[in-house]
Amino acid sequence: MDREPLFRRKTAISYKTEEKTVLRGYDLSELAEGGYRFADVMFVLFQGRLPTENESEMLDYEMAEFMEHSMSPSSASACAVIGGRPHLPAAIAAAVMSFGGAHGPGAAHAHMMNKYIERARAEGKTLDEMAKICVDEYMDAGRPIMGMGQPQHTDGDPRAEPTHIKQEELGVDGVYLDFQKAVEKHFHARRKAEGRKYVAVNMIGAGNTALADMGFSPNAAWVVSGCVTRGFSGAAHALFMLKKGRAWSASKNEPMVQMLDLSMIKYVGPEDRPVPSQEERQECARKQLEEGEFRKWAL
Amino acid sequence: MGALDKKYRDRLPYDYENRERGAVPPDTTREPFRWVSEVAYKNLHRIVARGYDTTELVEAGYGLADMIFVDFQARIPLKEEAEMLNYVMILGLEDGLSSPAVVARAVSRSHAYLTQAAGASILAFGHAYGAYSAFGNMLRKRLDRAEKEGRSAAEMAELLVRENQGAAHLGVSNLMLKDPAAKRTFARAEKLGLARRYIPFMREVVAAAQRLSPEPVDLDMLGALGATMMDLHFSPEAAWGILAVTRAFAAGAHGIEEIERMGCARLGECLTPKEDYDGPPERAVPSLEERATTAKPGQTRSLEEWRKAVDERAKTMGSGFRIVEEIEDPRKIGKVAKRK
Repeated sequence: MDREPLFRRKTAISYKTEEKTVLRGYDLSELAEGGYRFADVMFVLFQGRLPTENESEMLDYEMAEFMEHSMSPSSASACAVIGGRPHLPAAIAAAVMSFGGAHGPGAAHAHMMNKYIERARAEGKTLDEMAKICVDEYMDAGRPIMGMGQPQHTDGDPRAEPTHIKQEELGVDGVYLDFQKAVEKHFHARRKAEGRKYVAVNMIGAGNTALADMGFSPNAAWVVSGCVTRGFSGAAHALFMLKKGRAWSASKNEPMVQMLDLSMIKYVGPEDRPVPSQEERQECARKQLEEGEFRKWAL
Repeated sequence: MGALDKKYRDRLPYDYENRERGAVPPDTTREPFRWVSEVAYKNLHRIVARGYDTTELVEAGYGLADMIFVDFQARIPLKEEAEMLNYVMILGLEDGLSSPAVVARAVSRSHAYLTQAAGASILAFGHAYGAYSAFGNMLRKRLDRAEKEGRSAAEMAELLVRENQGAAHLGVSNLMLKDPAAKRTFARAEKLGLARRYIPFMREVVAAAQRLSPEPVDLDMLGALGATMMDLHFSPEAAWGILAVTRAFAAGAHGIEEIERMGCARLGECLTPKEDYDGPPERAVPSLEERATTAKPGQTRSLEEWRKAVDERAKTMGSGFRIVEEIEDPRKIGKVAKRK
């Protein structure tokens, strides 16, 4: 049996011998035997250290609450992909990959915090002053402020404020929570002054802040509490569809119209039109180019 | 009558020329589509998994391992079960530079989103690497059969090993002869009173494999984690999914490290040394005119010709002809009752 690594790299994360697997210097089996929980090992993995009990509790809280969010792009993706009956991991991967610039944009929020906190330091401003600058710069530019607003929970994500509170209760708050709360204060104040409706903090704003205060980098935070944790529930939703739903989700025999029933398609594209023959093709193509209507449809 | 209509008239069960246009109107005779889920719902102010408000769960001190039980099994686990799942997930987290880490590193170097790198690592879980589904179903079927036929676990374990010796999903191999982690997993489960159905059976499988194998073998990580997950009442597929996701956390770290150490790789940047190439020697590209005399058609007209062509094609690495997938043999399934 060839036990060579698939490729060679210098790595500071782990090594694996016939005797053991060592993560950042700790024997993985010893960590498990030692009674550590999975959340603890996230600190070892991404930060090379074991966390305090309160940090461990905070991360476990956060991962548990972030894991399930019913029908979101992640679970919807998992359900849609499993409809074709690929191997289960394909559906789970789709769920994880659905996290991007809009759905759980974790890394971007943390990068934003880092940028403004560094500016406060460099420019000799308080976090409160810099938070106002941050809010004004984003709102002046007509850009949404990362960490605020959730399209489904329009009164505020039910997990978000409790996460802030838990962070305070456990004493794992630091500059990031100070900055985030200042952002929220100035954001609410400006929207109120502009006569705009209340938009609450979301799970990125709350959860990511806690992760940053516990020493996770923007990308590590994205993995830890964001996209990958949701993979667990993505798997559950996919399995529900796999075991209790019909492949393709288009059966006419189901009492409810299915996700991919033909009648679910609302078409709003160009009207039906004849296919030009090859003789007519050049003239037709030239006309379409000149008239330019295709630009309305081009994606 | 159009040319296409003539062409299709006798081959299609509908009037080709007069096919309907427009999208299908909404079906008002049935309940409209809604996301049906047994797993979770949310409204403006709550997220509820299997009946439990998720914020209330975490406020009450439940953690990630508990939540996984709630989502997959609709129940609160025993403390021992949650502790065991934590244990399993820690062991499943990292496996060095194996497939998931390599995939994550490769995707990461393209300057893709980190989510793509971590997500792609999950795709590396198949029926050989991390074969929890194949392993678990094998175990379950055998145990069910033993109970149905009144055969002992030891007897069924031996049969299982005889039929699956050397298989990637056996859960017994020479991979963990010096690493005690797999055996410690069973010991921990037993200590916690969680060795219910599959761990005892897996011990029989290990014993049978050790008797029958010409080389030293022992319980491996797949066997240890897979059987433990099943004794925690996770289905083989749930175990597959949970442990693939567990590994994706570490794959994310590998993806990050790859960028930090190596930077991005551009299209065309990576060379493949000629000495690593063992394909056909370099040859001149025939002109389009020459093609008519040089190109050989791929079709075969007789079964012998077909067999010969398939064998010949298998000599081309990367053609796919060397890979023969096992598919379900319908003859072995048994006949279903006729529909009335």
